[in-house]
Amino acid sequence: MFSSLSRRRVIVLVVLTCLLLITLDKRGNPVIDRARGVFATVLTPFDTAAKAVSLPFQRAWDGITNYGNVQRENQALRDQIEHQKGNDVEAQSAVLEYRELLKTVQLASKFQYPWVAGQVVGDSPSNFQNTVEINVGSLQGVAVGMPVTDGAGLVGRITKVFPGRSIVLLITDPDYAIKAQVLSTPDQLKPSKPPVTTTPSGLPVNGLPSTTSTTTTTPATTTTQPAVPGSNPSTGGDTTTSTAAVTTTTLPLKVVRETGMLQGQGADKPCVLRFIDTSSSVTSVKVGAIVDTAGGNDGLAPQGIPIGRITAIQRQTGSSSALVEVTPNASLNRLNFVVVLRYVPNSDAVGP
Amino acid sequence: MWRILLGPLIRLVPIGLVALAIQRVVFGAHPVVDVKLQFVLALVVAAGAGGGADRGAVAGFVLGLMYDFSGNTPLGLMALAYGLGGMTAGYVHTFTPDPQWWLASIFAAIGAAVGEASIPLIEAITGQSGWIEQRVLVTVGVVALFAAVMCPLLMPVGRWMMGVKRRKWKAMVE
Repeated sequence: MFSSLSRRRVIVLVVLTCLLLITLDKRGNPVIDRARGVFATVLTPFDTAAKAVSLPFQRAWDGITNYGNVQRENQALRDQIEHQKGNDVEAQSAVLEYRELLKTVQLASKFQYPWVAGQVVGDSPSNFQNTVEINVGSLQGVAVGMPVTDGAGLVGRITKVFPGRSIVLLITDPDYAIKAQVLSTPDQLKPSKPPVTTTPSGLPVNGLPSTTSTTTTTPATTTTQPAVPGSNPSTGGDTTTSTAAVTTTTLPLKVVRETGMLQGQGADKPCVLRFIDTSSSVTSVKVGAIVDTAGGNDGLAPQGIPIGRITAIQRQTGSSSALVEVTPNASLNRLNFVVVLRYVPNSDAVGP
Repeated sequence: MWRILLGPLIRLVPIGLVALAIQRVVFGAHPVVDVKLQFVLALVVAAGAGGGADRGAVAGFVLGLMYDFSGNTPLGLMALAYGLGGMTAGYVHTFTPDPQWWLASIFAAIGAAVGEASIPLIEAITGQSGWIEQRVLVTVGVVALFAAVMCPLLMPVGRWMMGVKRRKWKAMVE
């Protein structure tokens, strides 16, 4: 048996070493980062072996416990496929319209950034980290700070990069914060209509002309083909131009932008949006409004990536501001394929 | 002192790699009541309950450090939390040098609770606030219960890992 002095020395040594390592790592240390990379490489065969051994047991267990759910899900998916077939034509049309609109207004799209597609290969093993692991890393050009999206919207940002893998901090993690903007249109006041039309990629069509001003008015252009060529064109906008076969009508569409800071609150909880102008949440922001990234020099992501929708606005007693809850578009619990936009934010914004 | 620190490393590292892989693949991917069961922590507290506070602290430090290396946590955070957990579980040896399985399980649960509860506290101290909430109580409870259940199974592994031989008691010869 070891003496109590020796025991105390061991414990003190362990605690002091831990504190030293935390301090070194928080300040950023290339040696530690390299060691992490090496350890990730060493751990990979163990992970693979554990997956290979546990997979048959997991499948057997899932077969026993989830058979009913799988059947129901299968039926729901079949229905969804039928529904999607109809939507597909509309979606393709919307994409063409969207591209045409982009050319028209000559705005830089977020898709001008190169991107890397990856697949989620692991979840955070801890209860106090909302992260996922993806199978692309520095070898594919991924770097710390790059935004990660899926088909529905923003997923998070890269916080650790290994040669063939990366860790993505999800937007629901309390450590995640990003500048976001709310796009409110008068449509949001009508519950029967969707507030903003989006393309299948999730990008709001009416949010394309993005500026950093607080309030802007964006003209929306619709093109209609009259039933009888040469009939009277419909009017109702500010300007109307008529050709032999096509009538172009320009309607005033008011898009109100409010900029704020979006922060996660933990897994399965909506994010919280805090406005720079505290009166914003009380006046112009409504439930259902779309929220996307605000961009800017100190932004962690380019402008215009959809984040989610406002699902609740809670008034706070004793404060002029309100608590605005934003439910992410992306299903963060069911992530599979993601896209890393190779947009490198300002290093000051990313932090150590 | 160095014997405590360096001696078990040869066994700790490979066992830790296997435990970490199990944690990531099995327990990390299948939460119970939305809580991810902590297999590595259960192994740490079992080693502590089987070998004492000093060995528990060393096991927690090494396995926690490996956990930090594999994940997104600041290096040393899990090492400190698990070290505290292993040390707490090891205090069962102040009551008896050879604890019964149920007594070891109780101390393993306490150690696991200390270890898991330390994580958000240390995160808060290091500036990663946001995790201290009521939900932590449920998380800590489930993790502690899991450690208590696993302790009798993992204690022999923990003893072997830390190079501790179980005492054999003999009746006194008259």
